[in-house]
Amino acid sequence: MESVKFKQVVIAILGFILLGAFVVVGYVESMRRIPDAKPRIVVSAENEKCLNCHEQQSNARTVAQQWRESTHAKRGVGCLECHEAEASDADSFTHYTETIATVVTPGDCSRCHPAEFEQFQRSHHADAGNILGSLDNVLAEVIEGHMPVVHGKRLASPAAVSGCKQCHGSVVTPLLDENGDKTYRDSGVLVLDHNTWPNTGIGRLNPDGTKGSCAACHNRHYFSAAQAREPDDCGKCHLGPDHPQYEIYRESKHGINFIAHKDKMNLDAQPWIVGEDYVAAPTCASCHMSATPNQPVTHDVGERISWTLRPPISEKVDAVALKQGKDVMPWKERRANMTDVCVQCHSQQFVGSFYKQYDDLVNLYNDKFGRPATDIIKSLKSNDLITGDIAFDDKIEWTYFYLWHHEGRRARMGAAMMGPDYTQWHGMFEVADRFYMEFVPEAREAVEHGRESGKQAGADAAQDVIDKIMARDEHLWIQGKMSDEERAAREAASDAFRKRYAGSE
Amino acid sequence: MGARNSPLGWLRQSFPVDGEVLREMSSEPIPNHLKRWWYALGGTPAYLFIVLAATGISLTFYYRPSPEVAYESVGRITNEIRFGWLIRSVHHWAANLMVLSVILHVIRVFFTRAYRKPRELNWMFGVGILIVIFTFGFTGYSLVYEQLSYWAAVVGTNIAEATPIVGPYLATFMRGGVDITSNTLTRMFVLHIGVLPTVIVILLGLHIVQIRLHGVSIPDGEAKKDAGKTFPFFPNHLMTELVIGLSLTILLVVLALIAPAPLGEPANPNVTPEHIKPEWYFFAMFRWLKLTSFKVGVLGTMGFVGIFLFWPFIDRLIERAFPGKGVAMWIGVLGVLTLIAFTIWEAFV
Repeated sequence: MESVKFKQVVIAILGFILLGAFVVVGYVESMRRIPDAKPRIVVSAENEKCLNCHEQQSNARTVAQQWRESTHAKRGVGCLECHEAEASDADSFTHYTETIATVVTPGDCSRCHPAEFEQFQRSHHADAGNILGSLDNVLAEVIEGHMPVVHGKRLASPAAVSGCKQCHGSVVTPLLDENGDKTYRDSGVLVLDHNTWPNTGIGRLNPDGTKGSCAACHNRHYFSAAQAREPDDCGKCHLGPDHPQYEIYRESKHGINFIAHKDKMNLDAQPWIVGEDYVAAPTCASCHMSATPNQPVTHDVGERISWTLRPPISEKVDAVALKQGKDVMPWKERRANMTDVCVQCHSQQFVGSFYKQYDDLVNLYNDKFGRPATDIIKSLKSNDLITGDIAFDDKIEWTYFYLWHHEGRRARMGAAMMGPDYTQWHGMFEVADRFYMEFVPEAREAVEHGRESGKQAGADAAQDVIDKIMARDEHLWIQGKMSDEERAAREAASDAFRKRYAGSE
Repeated sequence: MGARNSPLGWLRQSFPVDGEVLREMSSEPIPNHLKRWWYALGGTPAYLFIVLAATGISLTFYYRPSPEVAYESVGRITNEIRFGWLIRSVHHWAANLMVLSVILHVIRVFFTRAYRKPRELNWMFGVGILIVIFTFGFTGYSLVYEQLSYWAAVVGTNIAEATPIVGPYLATFMRGGVDITSNTLTRMFVLHIGVLPTVIVILLGLHIVQIRLHGVSIPDGEAKKDAGKTFPFFPNHLMTELVIGLSLTILLVVLALIAPAPLGEPANPNVTPEHIKPEWYFFAMFRWLKLTSFKVGVLGTMGFVGIFLFWPFIDRLIERAFPGKGVAMWIGVLGVLTLIAFTIWEAFV
């Protein structure tokens, strides 16, 4: 073996190599995400001043703590980076030495997140605040609520303020006094109109002219991407009798898998790519927004939706825009985008067949109930058999509303998101019940009532519309006009069923 | 202050050991053939043992020996604890290198016939250390409580059950019942972190004491070449060991970086994996057991271990029966080739 001196040189060289190996280890460790580790946060001198006061106050202590755990805090994005405002801003005020605004708008967020801002502003979410004049708006402001004029000013409807607008968004405005001047608290803080704020509706109309609220999904002050990927996050608004997407998801295989394997969802990953960062289940975000190996994340939630399931008669999602001459992403491209998400877990054949099932159900609803009911309502209105200018003053208008707005949507959304019970029992069954047992009898009643009131021609015209619809093949059963073959086939099936389960002949 | 009242004086008073004796012990003349790297394989396991003890103690801070949480705690060590992945991976690779270096050391000792009189007992201590190291490996990967752990424990205890006469009792004792349960895991844990370390420290102590008492054996060929030449333990040989220690540390860190310790699927008693394979050092035995009936396999293994343990005496008998023919050497070659062949066979099937 070699001399002592040679060994000393070898030891020195090995020592350096070992040091290098430890440097690599240190780098690998620093790149690793440690779930429970306290983040190192960056607080600027200006933000330190905010925290010094607000962390002592009970009304903002939790907010500051939430911020301290956020990615913003780790990246040095503090209070002023978001709340800082120009003196010319409609909602700005001077708070000690700083000019700030209470409401942080997508415009503020766009300073660091321009791509997300641009995607969101063109999305359907951003337009959710434009519901003035819609039937939902009439319900909240006129039928459920009341908006009297007091001292020359029309008051807001509490039903709309606490209901619709909390999801759709308000028009945020400062509170004005009798002279039309802005009002301030003793601390100098601008007071916002309580009918418009607090509000984190997704289509909020902000004082700076931007639409929406990033906090609708990324709750302040955590601003967590992981939270926005949770189905519960969307469930604040997408639930209930008229659009139970959250409940349908929970009922679907997707939702069942999510709940069973939530611990494997890696919701904190960046980027969060289906098939790479997680495989257990998709959430709402996975399908509608998040990245795939082929698509980046998008904040335009409509880019993967091919049907609109909201109106009385479903159309492809680009239909209205095309009628208005707008240049929008074609529905086939949107469906291809969604298919790209689906095929991360399913085969092309599986996805193709699913879409066939879904299209068939939407077409069934449209053709058998949605379009006929709409034609009948239009005929009753145009023939002056029910009032055309006041919504919901005729019983049949309520019946029609339930049929498409509640039950019809449930059926279509159930098919879209694979919630069979919503498609059947909460959906098509109730649509059929409403159509045959209430809507058509009420339409005939309106016709009769019109005839009795001397509106003979209108009654005949509406009668003709109803009769032609009810004479179609798919509605003959209720009049006992089934063909002999079909009657025999139904009776045979019924006998077989009775024998199978009841044992009776 | 007089010399007796100085801190050094106080220490000497407390430990009344003659400095000259210490100097003599640390300057033990090392036979010249130990300058060849091949002969430094005995120090490698000693170094790896220190690494395994240090990383093992660190892992014990976070490991929880209960079937409900064992796998989860290993996952936490790997994914959440600072440098946990490094400690676990170094422990994993050090264990593998330990087995490899001990096997190489045994092969070297065997073929240089370093076990001859008066070192027969030290060979037996060495075989004891080898068996303890294999047991360390078996109990160690049982603790992870992944599929491999669980089913290895099932197979391992079934093998023990096939031992004549005491088998059923031995298996019941190992499992802490008739099935693999929390009792089994606790036993594996106690063996791995308490009993086996104690046994190996005693055996290593006896092994080293024997080396010091008899001196390092000088193989026939080397004796002729070096003709009684020596070199001092300090600093020459210590530096050799330091070079080996540093190289091993680098190797362990690099292995941890490029091939971190794996973590398979959690143990599931209801799902038998399609391919059950133990760690590589059990491949040969596993293949042997597959080739024979369980009883024959276990008896054969016991016979092999017995021959291996008493080899210095058997070698003497063979030498007496066939003087100068090198029969024992050929038996060794055949044995090593068989073990390698069985290991490769099992690895690729």
